[in-house]
Amino acid sequence: MSVGAVAEWAAFVILAFIAVAGALGMATTMSMFRSGIFLMGSFIGVAGLFILLSADLLGLLQIMMYIGGMLVMILFMVLFSHDPGGSMMAGMEMSLVERLFSLGLSSGTAEMEHGDTGATGDMEAMGGAGGMAHEDMGDMGGMDGMDHGAAGDMAGMDHGDMDMSMTTPMKRYAAGLAVVVGAGLVALLVLRPAWPISSVTPDPESARVVGGLLMSKYMMAFESAGLLILVGIFGAVFLARPGRYPDQDARDEYVTADEPPPPIEEDAPPRGEGKKPAPAARSLSVLEAHVDEGDGD
Amino acid sequence: MDLALRALGAMGALAVATVLTWLLEPRLLSSAAEKGVAAPVGVRDEKHLAQNPDTWMYSAGPILAVLGVVFAVVVIPWGDRLVPRDLGIGVFYFIVVLDFVVLGLSLGGWGANVRDSVDVYYRGVAQLVAYVVPLGLAYIGAIMMAGSLSTQRIVEAQAGMWFVVLQPIGFVLYLVTGLMQAYRPPFLEPFSAFIGGGVFGSSSGGRAIGWRIAMSATLFLVAAMGAVLYLGGWRGPVLPGPVWMLIKTYGLMMLMVWGGARFRLLTAGRMLELSWKILTPVGLANVLVVGALILLGVGPT
Amino acid sequence: MIIDHYALVGLLALIGTGLALLLAAAYRPPVHVVREPAAWASYRFGYPVYALIFLSFDMEMIFMYPWAVVFADLGLEAFLDMLVFIAILSAGIAYAWKMGGLKWE
Repeated sequence: MSVGAVAEWAAFVILAFIAVAGALGMATTMSMFRSGIFLMGSFIGVAGLFILLSADLLGLLQIMMYIGGMLVMILFMVLFSHDPGGSMMAGMEMSLVERLFSLGLSSGTAEMEHGDTGATGDMEAMGGAGGMAHEDMGDMGGMDGMDHGAAGDMAGMDHGDMDMSMTTPMKRYAAGLAVVVGAGLVALLVLRPAWPISSVTPDPESARVVGGLLMSKYMMAFESAGLLILVGIFGAVFLARPGRYPDQDARDEYVTADEPPPPIEEDAPPRGEGKKPAPAARSLSVLEAHVDEGDGD
Repeated sequence: MDLALRALGAMGALAVATVLTWLLEPRLLSSAAEKGVAAPVGVRDEKHLAQNPDTWMYSAGPILAVLGVVFAVVVIPWGDRLVPRDLGIGVFYFIVVLDFVVLGLSLGGWGANVRDSVDVYYRGVAQLVAYVVPLGLAYIGAIMMAGSLSTQRIVEAQAGMWFVVLQPIGFVLYLVTGLMQAYRPPFLEPFSAFIGGGVFGSSSGGRAIGWRIAMSATLFLVAAMGAVLYLGGWRGPVLPGPVWMLIKTYGLMMLMVWGGARFRLLTAGRMLELSWKILTPVGLANVLVVGALILLGVGPT
Repeated sequence: MIIDHYALVGLLALIGTGLALLLAAAYRPPVHVVREPAAWASYRFGYPVYALIFLSFDMEMIFMYPWAVVFADLGLEAFLDMLVFIAILSAGIAYAWKMGGLKWE
């Protein structure tokens, strides 16, 4: 039935769109949290593409890894960055792309119910086309990113020096080169004479096939992955070792001071009582200095 | 249209299950206990938001959570050929899509930009970190004995004897980690009154109903999958499949909720300690024990 | 055939999203703006070691699911392979435990 082919094509377009838009959103949005979520959305789109290719175990593995991984990674991002929610950046001058992907964030000084209907932009697994005005050109989504980036950067360059845009200022020859290379790659894809069609039919029991392969052909990879994971755990424990400074105040003291921390003092032998006076005392009189030096070490 | 019938069946089953769980759960807890998720939903309350919430994330939270449970009901078998779709990797798919509920909690929690609500994200992900590995290990025992990830095959493999008899450790492990997955007592922290009810404090109206639907359905799904994995699913002598499934699911749910209410509420730190110091080693040991049992010929061939 | 299976999932995605959006739009309660310092600040959560160990074990679970499916057919050899794998990872947990990594900061 042709419904199947049309549905498959529609699903492909939607998933490819999610994958590309997610990647674009990750790079341009002002909020670190959204950046992680957009990356996860992009990979969930890719996982949907895996499922379209009948690799359902791999697709679901991808989703599982990226949900867990991104949630943890965003935690670490929040730990280390100053403005993870993007609220401070939301009021600044931004290029068009950044503003699109930062819709819904407000800087807090203005209106409250800022687009409460804006629920169309979230990243779901397999549905929900976004509200972007551009369509995919044919079945390649890859060119959209270039166009957006170029257009957005042009807008960003026109502002004055208070431009807080995060997109890098555009170098025209670099953009031109990227467009040429991209067009060349896409032409290679489209104008290719014949795609090799494999005669292997996908096995509905994908877990059994993968398990069999893991146990026979990829056994070394399997065990080596275990060792690699072990090294990762060592690294995690190492990173959490107790720090050099006893608590946060002591650390702040040392970190914010202009001079380096005092050097480690070894048990210096006492150099005689005479050398003990404070520096202020030295300026009292020249006579006393002579007396001190006369005492010897 | 076959597809439409299946979709209707799945949504219908989810609706019935959610309503039953929503009504049943507050009656299972004593009035003095902390209700957490089972507290009455304040539909007309005000929602507490900061001045600059992240409206996309805040709106996306309940949608993702509901989507997670809608996806997960696809693989629950109700009878001999009564499953919306028996996916080849059913159990694994189930585990993955229930993660969407935690994802929804994180997004919804972060979006409100209120301290109590953002805490839901931190504590919810802490609970995710705690439960995922032991829960997977509890599933693996049943998967090993059945030799398949498909829920129907797991039910069929228990024709001789239920897995709860063959793998008691795995069953207890599933009870504990299932409660953790469903965010019920004693693993209640992201919803506790300590942080103002979490996402329930910062949302009301349709969104709070969405959260409640997602959490009730999660409890039901956890109990249903426990019935499938360890209690023989829809198999039973006289009554039809769906009735047995309901009996076993709600029996397991009552066991879990009553058992969980006996214990003091745990904080996220203690949950993590419990999980990584006790549950994960027990789970790994269970895998080895079940493997030895299979090698010795116990269980379905 | 596998794609047909997931067509149901795709359809349910659309239905579920639609229903959830309807619910969210159904009743809009008043907003009570809470005036407190914004919660999106650099926050030191107490479980970085646990989170990193969880990532490692998530990778382990990837390997255990396909192994569990084929285990009954392959017998003792598969059991020993997984025994080695579990031993490696248990060494990891034991190391983390003894070095004091498994605690809430």
